Amino acid sequence: MFKDIKQIKTTRRTVLGAALGLGVAAGFGGLSRAFAADDIAVGAIYDLTGGLNIYGIQQSRAMHLAVDAINAKGGLLGRKLNVIESDSQSELPKFTQYANTLILRNKIQVLFAGLTSSAREAMRPIVREKKVPYFYSALYEGGACDKQTFITGASASQQMSVLIEWAIKKYGPKIYIMAPDYNFGTISAHWVETYAKQLGGEVLGSDFLPLTVTDYAPTIQKIQAAKPNFVVTLPVGANQTGFLEQFAAAGLKKQMGIVSTNYGSGNQQVVVSPDAGEGIVASQEYFMWIEGAGNDAFKALWKAKYGLDEPIISEAASTWNAVNLWAIAVEKAGSTENDKVIAALESGLTFEGPNGLVTLQPKSHHLKQNIYIVQGNRDHGFDVIKTYESVAPSFEDEKCDLIANPATAEAFTP
Amino acid sequence: MEIDYLLVVLLSSLTSASVLIIATLGLAVIFGLMGVVNLAHGEFIMFGAYTALVVTRSGVPFSIAVIVAALVTALFGAIVERVIIRRLYGRLLDTLLATWGLSLVLYQSAVLIFGSVTPGIGMPQSNVRIGDYTISSYMLFLLGVAIVLVLALYWLLTKTGYGIVARAAIQDSETASAIGIESGRINTMTFALGSGLAGFAGAILLPAVPATPGMGFAFVIKAFLTVVVAGPVTLTGTVLAGGLLGSAANIVASFWTTVAGNIVFFMLTMGLLRLYPNGITARWNRKL
Amino acid sequence: MTISTQPDQQANSRIGKAIAWSDLISIAAAVFVLLIISLIVDPYLAYVATSWVIFGIVGLSLDLVWGRAGVLSLSQTAFYGLGGYAGSIAAINFSYLTGNTLIWSLPVGMLVGGVVAAFISWIIFYGRMGVLQTTILTYTFTLVLWTATVSFSTKVGKAVVGGDNGMSNIPPMILGLGDAAKQLEPNAMLVTVVLIAAILYALCKALAKSPFGLIIDCIRLDPVKAELLGYDIRRYQLILFTIAGGIAGLAGSLFAAWSNYLNPSIFNVQEALSIPIYVLVGGRGTLVGAFVGALAVGGLSFWLGGGVIGGQTTLVMGVCLILLVLFMKSGLLGGLAQLFALFRSKREAKQAPIDQTEQRVKIDFDLLDKIRLHANTNSQSVELSSVDALKSFGGVTPVNRVTQSFKKGKVRCVIGPNGAGKSSYLKALAGTYKLDAGQIKFGQRDITHADPFDRVRQGLGIKMQKAQVFDDLDVRTNLWIAAYSRDRNREEADRVSGGMLKMLGMVAQGSKPASQLSHGEQQWLDIGMVLCLSPDVMLFDEPAAGMTKDERRQLSQLIKTLSKSAAVVVVEHDMDFVRTLDADVTVLHQGEVFAQGDIEVLRKDERILDIYLGRRKHVQAH
Repeated sequence: MFKDIKQIKTTRRTVLGAALGLGVAAGFGGLSRAFAADDIAVGAIYDLTGGLNIYGIQQSRAMHLAVDAINAKGGLLGRKLNVIESDSQSELPKFTQYANTLILRNKIQVLFAGLTSSAREAMRPIVREKKVPYFYSALYEGGACDKQTFITGASASQQMSVLIEWAIKKYGPKIYIMAPDYNFGTISAHWVETYAKQLGGEVLGSDFLPLTVTDYAPTIQKIQAAKPNFVVTLPVGANQTGFLEQFAAAGLKKQMGIVSTNYGSGNQQVVVSPDAGEGIVASQEYFMWIEGAGNDAFKALWKAKYGLDEPIISEAASTWNAVNLWAIAVEKAGSTENDKVIAALESGLTFEGPNGLVTLQPKSHHLKQNIYIVQGNRDHGFDVIKTYESVAPSFEDEKCDLIANPATAEAFTP
Repeated sequence: MEIDYLLVVLLSSLTSASVLIIATLGLAVIFGLMGVVNLAHGEFIMFGAYTALVVTRSGVPFSIAVIVAALVTALFGAIVERVIIRRLYGRLLDTLLATWGLSLVLYQSAVLIFGSVTPGIGMPQSNVRIGDYTISSYMLFLLGVAIVLVLALYWLLTKTGYGIVARAAIQDSETASAIGIESGRINTMTFALGSGLAGFAGAILLPAVPATPGMGFAFVIKAFLTVVVAGPVTLTGTVLAGGLLGSAANIVASFWTTVAGNIVFFMLTMGLLRLYPNGITARWNRKL
Repeated sequence: MTISTQPDQQANSRIGKAIAWSDLISIAAAVFVLLIISLIVDPYLAYVATSWVIFGIVGLSLDLVWGRAGVLSLSQTAFYGLGGYAGSIAAINFSYLTGNTLIWSLPVGMLVGGVVAAFISWIIFYGRMGVLQTTILTYTFTLVLWTATVSFSTKVGKAVVGGDNGMSNIPPMILGLGDAAKQLEPNAMLVTVVLIAAILYALCKALAKSPFGLIIDCIRLDPVKAELLGYDIRRYQLILFTIAGGIAGLAGSLFAAWSNYLNPSIFNVQEALSIPIYVLVGGRGTLVGAFVGALAVGGLSFWLGGGVIGGQTTLVMGVCLILLVLFMKSGLLGGLAQLFALFRSKREAKQAPIDQTEQRVKIDFDLLDKIRLHANTNSQSVELSSVDALKSFGGVTPVNRVTQSFKKGKVRCVIGPNGAGKSSYLKALAGTYKLDAGQIKFGQRDITHADPFDRVRQGLGIKMQKAQVFDDLDVRTNLWIAAYSRDRNREEADRVSGGMLKMLGMVAQGSKPASQLSHGEQQWLDIGMVLCLSPDVMLFDEPAAGMTKDERRQLSQLIKTLSKSAAVVVVEHDMDFVRTLDADVTVLHQGEVFAQGDIEVLRKDERILDIYLGRRKHVQAH
């Protein structure tokens, strides 16, 4: 979608070669020569096509927006940033392939890539071995801990701690969990249980749903039988928004609250009908509707380039923060050398992003940032109802200390 | 276990089966009458859902939008049959691959045209109370839709000229062509009928399952299995297989977990296929 | 085209033999060129190309079952993924013992892929599922794995299978033992994978050329006939499927070592369906096409992934697939071969046509005796009998309580008007129709529930109404396959099929595809194939159809001769032909035995004329 004109010209010559595969594809080598020698090569891999491009396109847009803004101010260290972007097509093996290619061929200095945890996990060993700082900007289940990996999205515990506190206060202590049946769901459910216990709540039951389910009647019946005060729902993928419709249609919204940490992160509030979406409470590090100078400036830039037909998602803001944090670190290090940049990134950097002030935690490589509690309205949008300022990624801070143990390469699970 | 819970589970298992049957009939008709498996079936459902969505949002009542969606998808199916399927008769596996290619194209086109998120239309906020439980009226309505749909299809295939000819054509294609039945035209109509049913399914389920480019995928696995388990006797087989598998999965999910419900669905399928490799109706005499 | 007029061993000896030197040399040459390229390309390209070669290996495994056996399996990626997981678990846990990783991951991956494939194919083939059901079932298997694995987390020794987050820290490709073990650089990795691929390809090629491969070809072309030649097709399909699963599993463990990471997306739809694309692009049934396809698609996708055409990879791939299926069904290699064939046929057209000497069948009693002798059948007369055999389809009962027994000595003819159930009765005897009631006995043995291949092995031979020959195989190979079935001896099969070819007067046509024979010639070929089996009981359904007068005379003589040493049952329409057979006659009507006796006696029976002419009165009386 957004590609460098020079890149296209070079590539066109290799059309035939590529089609024939191995032998002739060696012409790709010519690509890197198209760029000026002192440009800083910035690698990006997002899902521009396929099922995940709901997220991937916005991540890519935010990344380009940030890079353009930096280049407009003269680049970094007097050098222009040059984005080399690959489309991972929502296919996991492409991440491995393109990450290696960008590093080996294009000699990228930094990598911004990926939406899913599996994509991050696939690239984490590669950047570790090749020593390229890597930024992952999506909300996720938490726990990733690796020297070259930096995470600008919120982790599950970070969001859940404030959400459960708020919800128990608002609705009462009895909780039911509806979660997708994979890592994100099961780990998030664990955090619900943990915080519920801490705060005097009680989890009455939980149902884990495969991503291909379209019929939520059994879940809804079980919720009715359990009679909770509120339901924690973590719909993943477009299909699971059907749960919200069926939940509302069965008349359950009048009887109990419904809260989520990921509702809205893929613009689900646009998909669900006003009846189903109104009143759903969500908690994330960014919503387009939050107030603040940083967000206004960000939205203005975004609107000028892409328009605002589709609400900006939290992953976009996280990507913007990622690029800017890296840029600050490069300026501070005065070099793009890996050791120096990592050292700068681990120096407690702060940045005033669209979602307020964020702090890059030196030990855990996660962000301390605001978490917003919002409530769905009838216009496919949200109203902000509470801001928790500077929420620390406590689980990651506790488990992960990359300054003391730089060799750690783990995805911690609670 | 309270009696009201049992009643609700019974009702919802019937609605689950109805949803499965509604989503499967189009595939079953094409498979039963033409011997072709349309791997793009899920995307045809999606096609119908988007058509209904667009029509509804232009101000047309939903009930009419559903009809429009079915017709538009049928027309699209007719074109697909003329342009692609027709050239592949007798090349069963190639047809599979071509329709799979079509599913990719439809999916990506939907992403391009509608973007990844489009507002849904929502379900009617009315429900029926049974003891301590409520069940959405629209889901109950779908149960009625499934029954009417099956009866209408039965009428279409037994009482109309097209139906009689189409069934004659599967029973003996040589004789059919000998007595001057133009099998090409019949096939176009059958494929259009199957596509129309898929479009109808997408449209009628739209309130409960929002339109997204990938929505078809959620239906196809179970729809394929239902058709294969059903075997050659299109209508009865689909109703039986869909009813059995759909409600069994629902009941297990209601008393245990949704994952268990899914596992039961797949295990039952495997078991049935081992017992009846060519479908439960493979040895039946009736043809519908 | 060279044609030897003598059916000598020389011409035959190529059938069912292992891979030829010329093939090996061309493989070696291709591999050499690839190795050179592998060593000189940029590391990043070598790295990416490694994955293309691995995909090519998965494609190869699909081409084995789809291109050769005609079964479109969409579960190759399932075996691939499972093999990858299993191989990686082995490598993670045991590689510290040797330093080497591939020595652990490859065999384990292959084993697991093969075992799972064997299980799936047992369900499919021993359940005798249809082609379509097979494809859907394999597709579903893959999708079920996909949905199941995203939530499956466990720990196997040191290996963590982490649900959707996958399995990380899979060791890379390491070769060498102990201290000498070292991780392969991208170019070395490509070289290794190319070598492994070449070995697998050569093995598959050898397999395809072996008798096993020929039988697989036959199963693809006509599974019913293959079974009627006495081959247990389920077993062959299962073995082939297992081998293919093993290859896919091995490819999976290579892939895991390549990417150092695996997650359930290896089981997803895109992966599952990209494999048939590789095969289609390259050319189905060619085996090497899988690699051509994987390189071409990999290259294209790589180039599209770079952002060209607005990143519309999915769209482009979808359209390409439709176009490929519609317009280039034989793939890149097939397209080239067609071009080449066009060029060659133009050149050959200029040459003088080969002198087609009038060929005719000459019964070689000596040969028939020799086959029988070698077949070593029990000299006492074997009897095939049916007791109250009943078969019905819905309202129709084509075989209605038929009790008959057939012995050697005199030809038995089964006659009757159209729809009397003659062919159905033969099929019930042969086992292609399973009885609803009654019994079929072969000697003392009850074979009512035996599969057709089993009955053939007992000594039954059947020629169906429509001549069944393997269209794409040449005439000589058709006979060879039949002869090979009897005692699985290559030399003996060479000798018998050579003799039979001569007897049928088809020596000049020995290397022609069977599909190019005339209708009558195909009938003879089919009869010849049955004779190669040297059965104790032979069932012929309208053998004289499409033959000239002269050929009928030959056939009649042949059948009479055969009946001296075997029970022969002939279904015939043509009364004149029946008379030449000097046979006992059984008249079937509406599935029942209507009359029985000498042909001349029956010819005078008014009732039989009635049923033949459709007159009702006597029929009702009966």
